[in-house]
Amino acid sequence: MRFFTAKVVESQDLGGAYSWLCLEGCEALAAASPGQFAMLRGWPGHDPLLSRAFSVLSTGPGTAEFLIRRVGRGSGLLGAARPGDPIRVVGPLGRGFPVATPEVTELLVAGGCGLAPLYFAARRAQAEGRRVRLLYGARQSCELVLADVLRARGVELQTATEDGSAGERGLVTALLERELAASTAGLRVLACGPEPMLRATREVARRHGVPCFLSLESPMACGVGACLGCAIPARDRPFLYVCKDGPVFAAEEVWP
Amino acid sequence: MSAPRMEVHAFGLRFANPVLTASGTFGYGSELAGSCPLTALGGLVTKGISLAPRAGNPEPRICETAAGMLNSIGLANVGLRAFLEEKLPFLRDCGTRVLVNFFGETEDDYLRCAEGLSGHGPGIDGLELNISCPNVKAGGLEFGVVPEVAGRLCERVRGATDLPLVVKLTPNVTDVVALARACVQGGASGLSLINTLRGMAIDARTRRPRLARVFGGLSGPAIKPVALRLVHEVARARLGVPIIGIGGIMSGEDAAEFLLAGATLVQVGTASFVRPDAAARVAEELLGYCAAQQVSDVSELTGALA
Ligand SMILES: Cc1cc2nc3c(=O)[nH]c(=O)nc-3n(C[C@H](O)[C@H](O)[C@H](O)COP(=O)(O)OP(=O)(O)OC[C@H]3O[C@@H](n4cnc5c(N)ncnc54)[C@H](O)[C@@H]3O)c2cc1C
Ligand SMILES: Cc1cc2nc3c(=O)[nH]c(=O)nc-3n(C[C@H](O)[C@H](O)[C@H](O)COP(=O)(O)O)c2cc1C
Ligand code: FES
Repeated sequence: MRFFTAKVVESQDLGGAYSWLCLEGCEALAAASPGQFAMLRGWPGHDPLLSRAFSVLSTGPGTAEFLIRRVGRGSGLLGAARPGDPIRVVGPLGRGFPVATPEVTELLVAGGCGLAPLYFAARRAQAEGRRVRLLYGARQSCELVLADVLRARGVELQTATEDGSAGERGLVTALLERELAASTAGLRVLACGPEPMLRATREVARRHGVPCFLSLESPMACGVGACLGCAIPARDRPFLYVCKDGPVFAAEEVWP
Repeated sequence: MSAPRMEVHAFGLRFANPVLTASGTFGYGSELAGSCPLTALGGLVTKGISLAPRAGNPEPRICETAAGMLNSIGLANVGLRAFLEEKLPFLRDCGTRVLVNFFGETEDDYLRCAEGLSGHGPGIDGLELNISCPNVKAGGLEFGVVPEVAGRLCERVRGATDLPLVVKLTPNVTDVVALARACVQGGASGLSLINTLRGMAIDARTRRPRLARVFGGLSGPAIKPVALRLVHEVARARLGVPIIGIGGIMSGEDAAEFLLAGATLVQVGTASFVRPDAAARVAEELLGYCAAQQVSDVSELTGALA
């Protein structure tokens, strides 16, 4: 974990309240693995006071990319950052997805801005020559950001939207159900998205006996295990902490 | 002019500079040590320790507010035994002074915890007694709100340990001086203030409180004026023990303001969440402030309000 100041090299509005942010000066994030995150702040002074947590979308030589869904003031300011703006970064933080051996096929399930860690996982699998499939759901087509990029890069992708404006109409967990009904051999499910979607994903994976890993969110103050603010109920003890025990958990470890 | 002297002496201890980290915002010392050089600090204060481990409150436990944050962590901690076995070894030669913050739900808990933290040699230079904790026997009223109760607790804990004993006061009282006086009469070696201010946040759209426990403790820049006022009130009462000023310190100038109000040392809390090296930076900025103001010894600032 390092604390440093990076600089925006490029920023794009992807539509659907999403922004894509590329930072330089991120050598310290080169060792990040899919599922790990960073605490970012791109504004001077104390408003907002706390930095905001964002999953690493990808890393390049000295650079790191982030997918920002603009839901409030902090994410709004980051999404509006311009080339040259300084961004303070603490990272890489947390525990990412488990390392996959060549026999494992990862089935990635993304809901909304939950795409970020799975985009990274998909690209990593491709780089390592492993087969990977991504199921990607959102409310409407404009929120299926980066789907075209993933397709262009040859990721096997299926999409679902709640309003049927792209891909299949319905929830991404329906796609998962169908995939797992077809075959479960060597599969491992990795998922990130809203809590109801993650709970449903866990249930489908459990029914099919497929190992499942979830990337969770919680309000965070420090991101490094110092404040104990990011507790989530766990199975073997009262709480686990999203920033240091996670954000990736084996599905059965959490939410008893 | 030669570099300002930053060293301060308080409670029989020498501190390399007046800036410490605040309890509950710096873990047990090792969590942030990689980003905040401990040797740059005057000292660190650990997360509050209790006799038995505590899991803490249900979530959500934190939320941001204007220039501050609310927390209801619920004093989650590893407990005395795990602290001594797993956390103390790191603290033994961490390069800075260590005060261990502790609390209990009964007087006996406090006593046994103080005894258990004593006699370990290096690694625990002093204790910080958190009295803003619900007194289970007194129906949940905090130990720190009734002067007689606080004074008696201090007296008993004083008898249980030879370590310097700093008592941390809550701001949620009407007469802080009466409390401070009772603690000093009970044998406190110093006073630290303030702990968090009770507060609440509501999500108007869902009509729900933002914290699972409804109420939480407010910290950060928003509380600095209140903290300065309380530190100054206690300092003006001249109780004869050093004061540690706490509340919303983000910069060297903020720290200087607390010294001017009457504090000998300060603690940096929430700022460490904003940037992990915050306390080290406050110390560095305080040095710069002293140099710019031609202050040759930082102790000159204590109580030097014009
Ligand atoms: C480990 C981790 C990884 C994350 N990765 C990403 C990522 O890659 N991309 C991304 O866009 N976001 C990600 N998030 C969520 C992101 O941190 C929050 O959206 C952000 O902190 C909101 O800050 P704000 O100041 O914009 O909103 P605030 O002002 O804090 O909140 C504004 C409104 O948004 C709501 N809100 C707050 N947090 C969230 C949330 N997590 N989801 C939806 N609504 C929320 C609040 O309830 C409030 O109504 C991640 C969170 C965690 C913990
Ligand atoms: C997340 C959090 C946890 C805290 N835990 C403790 C604690 O265990 N014991 C204690 O005496 N004070 C605790 N405090 C209070 C701080 O030590 C400090 O008194 C207060 O936050 C005000 O300082 P600040 O504005 O610089 O944060 C905690 C504060 C925060 C924000
Ligand atoms: S965010 Fe502070 S402990 Fe997890």
